[in-house]
Amino acid sequence: MGVFSRKGAKRDHTRRLRAGFEKWVNRRIPPAREITLNQRRIFIFPSRIGLFFSVCLLVMLIAAINFESNLSYGLTFLLMTLFIVSILHTYANLSGLTIRALRATPAFPGQLSDFHLMVERSKKRDHFALYFFWPNGSEILVNLVEEDSNRFQLHVPVDKRGWFNPGRLLVESTYPLGLLRCWTWIDLDISALVYPGPLASPDLPGVATDTPDGAAVPVTGNDDFYGFRGYRIGDSLRQVHWKGLAKGQGVQTKQYTAYADRSVWLDWEQFPGAGVEQRLSHLCYWALAFEERSEEYGLRLPGLVIQPASGEKHRDRVLKELALFGFEGATL
Amino acid sequence: MNVLQQVPRNALVWGIICLFALVAPHAVRLPFWVLGVYLLAVGWRWQVYRGRWSFPRRKLKLAMIVSSFVGIYFSYGSFIGLEPTVALLLTAFALKFTELAHRQDAYVLIFLGYFVCLTEFLFSQDLLMTFYSLLCVTLLTTTLVALHQPGQHQFNRRTIRLAFVMLLQALPLMVVLFFLFPRIGPLWKMPTSSHTGTTGMSDFMKPGDIASLTQSDEVAFRVKFEGEIPPSSDLYWRGLVMSKLENGAWSTLGLYSVPAKEARPQAVSTTGDPLIYSVIMEPTNQQWLYGLRYAISSTPGVMATSDFRLISPTPVEVEYIYRARSWTGAELEPKLSEWRRKIETRLPPNANPRSRAFALEMRDAVESDAAFMSLIMNKFTTETYVYTLKPGQLLGRDAIDQFLFESRRGFCEHYASAFVFVMRAAGIPARVVAGYQGGEVNPVNKTVIVHQFDAHAWAEVWIKGRGWVRADPTAAVSPTRIEMGLEEAMESEGSFLSEMPLSPVRYRSVALLNELRLRYDALTYGWQSWVVGFDSGQQMQLLHRVFGEISARTFMAAFIGSWALVLIPVAISLFRGKDTFPMSPADKYYRMFCHRLSLIGLKRVSGEAPGDFARRVVAAIPEETEQVWNITSLYARMAYETGADGNRNDQNALEELIRAVSKFKPKAQRNAGGGLHPPV
Repeated sequence: MGVFSRKGAKRDHTRRLRAGFEKWVNRRIPPAREITLNQRRIFIFPSRIGLFFSVCLLVMLIAAINFESNLSYGLTFLLMTLFIVSILHTYANLSGLTIRALRATPAFPGQLSDFHLMVERSKKRDHFALYFFWPNGSEILVNLVEEDSNRFQLHVPVDKRGWFNPGRLLVESTYPLGLLRCWTWIDLDISALVYPGPLASPDLPGVATDTPDGAAVPVTGNDDFYGFRGYRIGDSLRQVHWKGLAKGQGVQTKQYTAYADRSVWLDWEQFPGAGVEQRLSHLCYWALAFEERSEEYGLRLPGLVIQPASGEKHRDRVLKELALFGFEGATL
Repeated sequence: MNVLQQVPRNALVWGIICLFALVAPHAVRLPFWVLGVYLLAVGWRWQVYRGRWSFPRRKLKLAMIVSSFVGIYFSYGSFIGLEPTVALLLTAFALKFTELAHRQDAYVLIFLGYFVCLTEFLFSQDLLMTFYSLLCVTLLTTTLVALHQPGQHQFNRRTIRLAFVMLLQALPLMVVLFFLFPRIGPLWKMPTSSHTGTTGMSDFMKPGDIASLTQSDEVAFRVKFEGEIPPSSDLYWRGLVMSKLENGAWSTLGLYSVPAKEARPQAVSTTGDPLIYSVIMEPTNQQWLYGLRYAISSTPGVMATSDFRLISPTPVEVEYIYRARSWTGAELEPKLSEWRRKIETRLPPNANPRSRAFALEMRDAVESDAAFMSLIMNKFTTETYVYTLKPGQLLGRDAIDQFLFESRRGFCEHYASAFVFVMRAAGIPARVVAGYQGGEVNPVNKTVIVHQFDAHAWAEVWIKGRGWVRADPTAAVSPTRIEMGLEEAMESEGSFLSEMPLSPVRYRSVALLNELRLRYDALTYGWQSWVVGFDSGQQMQLLHRVFGEISARTFMAAFIGSWALVLIPVAISLFRGKDTFPMSPADKYYRMFCHRLSLIGLKRVSGEAPGDFARRVVAAIPEETEQVWNITSLYARMAYETGADGNRNDQNALEELIRAVSKFKPKAQRNAGGGLHPPV
């Protein structure tokens, strides 16, 4: 018991410490869509290589003392002062940069969201090897040499439905000598939309009877034959043009069109007994499925109705509503 | 691989350049196979870069390391000593290059490289060598910079420029540290270079030795006198006293063949002002130092011997500086001990019978030793003796007879040797002194440069009542040698530095070349006395001269002050730079106007039009209405309209704007109402 409680206390202690640090960082570098790095925001400290270099310098100094060699003293001092001068150079590499959050692509849970960022310089100075890293996400090295700004993307895996905030972004540089590490943690106030994970359900059950403009239909989508296209992974085996394959025409999928006036309602009430997240996942699955077939579909959620339509814009709107369902201030 | 771990190609190329630049000055001291390791290492790594080969495997690496160790052991016979240690370091440096895969490896390689630079200074502290090492440091730093420039695959000149600029910025701080850092003695004894041969004089002289030494134009030492430089004919730099003649060769007395009570020099009474001078000696790997007679040194460690010479406690392995005072007229050893007399008159039995007979006969003809001495000198002057670098073969048991009575051609060692032989044969204590004579006065910094070709041998004779007296038979044969130097003495023969056709000393007659040579030599002297030879004594002197009284406070102030003096301009130069979106003057003054308003709480939101802002401001501070609208309209006119009559109108508007903004000093209002908040 004692062990546990002590451990707990320790964990509590570190948590409090971390919380304190976060609070301090938040005060010092408040979240913003665009952050210009200056002395308030940049931290600088010798890197691990810098510490190793210091040890090397100490060895060189001892050699100079023992050999009583003035030129060796000179070389050692030159490298020492180079270290000191490089503080300014390392700092200059990060200072004056503006980092702007452009946008984040929506993603499904478990996928990567692309965060589009931009870094700009305010003076015509070269900046090298700017290292951007989101914990858990991807990392990138960016130069600002000939151009004044550089757009780049970072990918961060997202987990739960809703708004995903990737946390603070690490901006780091050890240029030009690697002896010092100059860094900052910035909160770009950017979030990625995370859709519900699509979850297949057996055929879309039932028909919402009280629809004024059309009825839900089984989504086999095989009313009228439209043409062939190359087989894609995920196509139903029932739609594969087997005869053609037998003739040696390669694997092809038969395509059918649905009537444009036939619109489907995706309804919250269609999945009795399912939980909130499960319902949303099913709805998401079907929305994607109809969009794939270019059929019109509408969405009905408690307190929200989206009229049937199709197209990318429509799909994004539907998915966004599903993603933000139940969150405060969700509808935008 | 992690993006931070990659080694850009640029860095690889710079690394290869560094590798060869660093090994080059060591090449002469290294066994040839080490250079083979370098070629192999670079070749291998290049093949890895091209994707042809893979990095060496663990077992192969181990094998390479072990075989290098074995190779070095066999090449040097041991691991102890400076050369094998440096050879190991250099081999490790090359082998590390083959496994340069990650950035971490590159760091290790570059730091090793800096250390290799340092080891070069343990062998040579020459000015040129220093410049070369600075080049190497620049190259290594360039590699370090290139390592942090990802995606720069083109050979980039700016990389080396940045490294150079950074080192240049570091240089003044280094100088401050160099002169302020306390010099403490060695913490423990380090291995020293033991395999390099000795240069210059040897403690063993057979006929022809000095003649061959005079074929070298290397500098033996440089002397700086306090006050007037004595005439060249007085500059007899005593280095060795040779009292032992065996098998036709002269040599010094061994340290242990001198009895203990004779080992200390007799007290010398000195009168008058001494010559004060300091000597910077080039490394000889020998212990003896050079001085005018009678020299004593105030430099710690320098000892005096019973034959009035100076010796260093350890062999001179690097440039060595010592100070000395000389009383040229002092009487040396007025009382000769029995042992000393015996040693200084001893001759090998039977050899050179004619010279012996001649000596005894002539001694009987005069009444004093001094008269005998001048008689023999006279013989050299009046009879036809030739001073030459090409005396012909003079070897064998009776070489002195042969020289004195038959060939009559010889170099200084022949004359000195024959002269001392004749003196001793007559029972007069005499000995050969070897060293240098004369030297070249450098008009640039008033130093005397003594070259190897100034090597000379002469005699010292003990005369009752006068002590040891210098007698130089060469001066009798060829006064030019003593007064003008070897070049003039050998002018007709043309044998001066005949084996070194490219030596700059040979072209002393070409004014420009000579000027350059002397200026460079002056630079070398300054370098050696101020940098290479800088010690705690000099440091104290310098600090006293610069700061007066040395206290911790002045010390710290000097330190911090000088650093600020260098770092602040560096910082300014770094953070300066053209704006990416240069601001027009109108923008600048309008911004100043906004800034003044922001001080009283009226902030312009980004994207707010000047007109909207003005309306908001006027609502908040109505008494400034006129001013605010004036400035806003002026700015709007300049920013958005192009004047019909071009720049002049613009210029007027700008002046008006500047005047208006400078006068504009808004005061905050307490109850300003809603106007203070920007519209959202």
